[in-house]
Amino acid sequence: MLRVDNASVFFAARDGRPVHALDRVSLDIPDRGFVVALGTSGCGKSTLLNAMAGFLPLSSGSITLNGHHVSGPGAERGVVFQKDSLLPWRSVVENVALGLKFAGLGRKERRDRAFELLRLVGLQDFADAAPYELSGGMRQRVGIARALAPDPAILLMDEPFGALDSMTREQMQELLVDVWARTGKRIFFITHSIEEALFLGTHLIVMSPRPGRIVARYDLGFVETFARDRDARAIKTSPDFSSLREEVRAVVHQFEPARSNEI
Amino acid sequence: MTDLAAADVAAESTQVAPKLVRMREFGVGKASTASISILTALILISAWWGASALHVVPHLFLPTPREVWSAAQSVYEDGYANASLWEHVSASLARILIAAAIAVGLGVPIGLIMGLSRWAKGVFDAPIEFYWPLPPLSYLPLMIIWLGIGEASKITLLTLAMFAPVALSAQAGVRSVTQERVNAALSLGATRLQLMREVVFPSALPEILTGVRIALGVGWGTLVAAELIAATRGIGYLIMSASQFLATDVVFVGIGIIAACAFAFSFAMRTLERWLAPWKGQS
Repeated sequence: MLRVDNASVFFAARDGRPVHALDRVSLDIPDRGFVVALGTSGCGKSTLLNAMAGFLPLSSGSITLNGHHVSGPGAERGVVFQKDSLLPWRSVVENVALGLKFAGLGRKERRDRAFELLRLVGLQDFADAAPYELSGGMRQRVGIARALAPDPAILLMDEPFGALDSMTREQMQELLVDVWARTGKRIFFITHSIEEALFLGTHLIVMSPRPGRIVARYDLGFVETFARDRDARAIKTSPDFSSLREEVRAVVHQFEPARSNEI
Repeated sequence: MTDLAAADVAAESTQVAPKLVRMREFGVGKASTASISILTALILISAWWGASALHVVPHLFLPTPREVWSAAQSVYEDGYANASLWEHVSASLARILIAAAIAVGLGVPIGLIMGLSRWAKGVFDAPIEFYWPLPPLSYLPLMIIWLGIGEASKITLLTLAMFAPVALSAQAGVRSVTQERVNAALSLGATRLQLMREVVFPSALPEILTGVRIALGVGWGTLVAAELIAATRGIGYLIMSASQFLATDVVFVGIGIIAACAFAFSFAMRTLERWLAPWKGQS
């Protein structure tokens, strides 16, 4: 269980005034839970993820993973970034094996385990390619395999498909569901696409900006249906999906910052 | 098949070579400039030959290409100014290579630490910013007073001249490491040392190599000037002795040797960059 308890974050603005980025957010990510955070930019969802990853200390509140206090980055929390952060001087398989190298595993063991993960994301034929020879979607798949390599307790994903074209994006969503179903990892996933959020999550939190906080929570079942029936089209065109999409859309727009009046 | 498709096939079968097009480019574009450069070189050499053969300028100022060539042969066979050609060249090469090794050996670690630690940057910034803009020849007399006329003063001078660009580029290289890459490594469980070895140093490597290339350029300039003033061996000394006897042809030979060495160094650095940092400019 990853538990976020009353987490608040204040940043310093350029003029030194405190900016309230995250306001008393509490959240539980259970075993096998796939929690999606949805919101417009500036709603604090990336701030929340950075705090979970240990890149950002909290102003108040706490984050614990299986009872242990999160106080910095660590291999038990894997991160997949929006822009892939692969190392261009390492081949694909070496990138995936990076966390295993840090953990001190031998060369042969690293390579075997990395190959296994590349098979999981369908990239076994590109093991010895350089990262910059791959397409955007393939690079994100390498990023997912790399984050899984040290066998983390949770996968933190910061808009990982945001830069992909819509067709690649749908393929990646289905691949991620496969990875989730097969590995049984907890996932915390950030997106600003309502459809993506509904399709992927077992739990959905909707966040609103200024200050960033959770304004709605939903329990979802579409991802389990997809993992069983593998028919994404049927799910996304179902009446349940459409009505929930409109409901969530209304919530998101309700908390959208007012336009034009500010400037 | 529709009528449109059939019309396409008919048009294709007429076998007219298609007009090849490409996007309009701004500036030089991708077309090779080698042929133009070779032509320019040929014109310059024939202009030289013409000017010297027709005595447009006094012979003392401008020897003919043929005379320079025979001077080169005689320097190669008999040496010049009490030393063989190889002794002159190797004296210069040894100085610059030893100085480069010291400058890289000190400059890279100090530059990396300057990029990582506020204290190190504060400490090293002041002396480097003070002496780096100085022309090295301005403190050569000081080096000679302190270290004598031998190799030590010249190698120290060269090391100082080459240290700053190497250290500053290593520092800039550390600054160019993206926070995202560092965070990725930390979330994969990297220790401080592993982060340095696997992420920071390779990220900084292309900038370090650029710094070494700049340092070698500065080094050649400083070396030859230092040898003109204080040396008994070396390419700069060869040029200086020749000029005292008004042997313009030998001066030309010396300049040619420096050009060849500098070109070889820059070629070696480009090869090294391709070999050590093939990802440069790729992502």
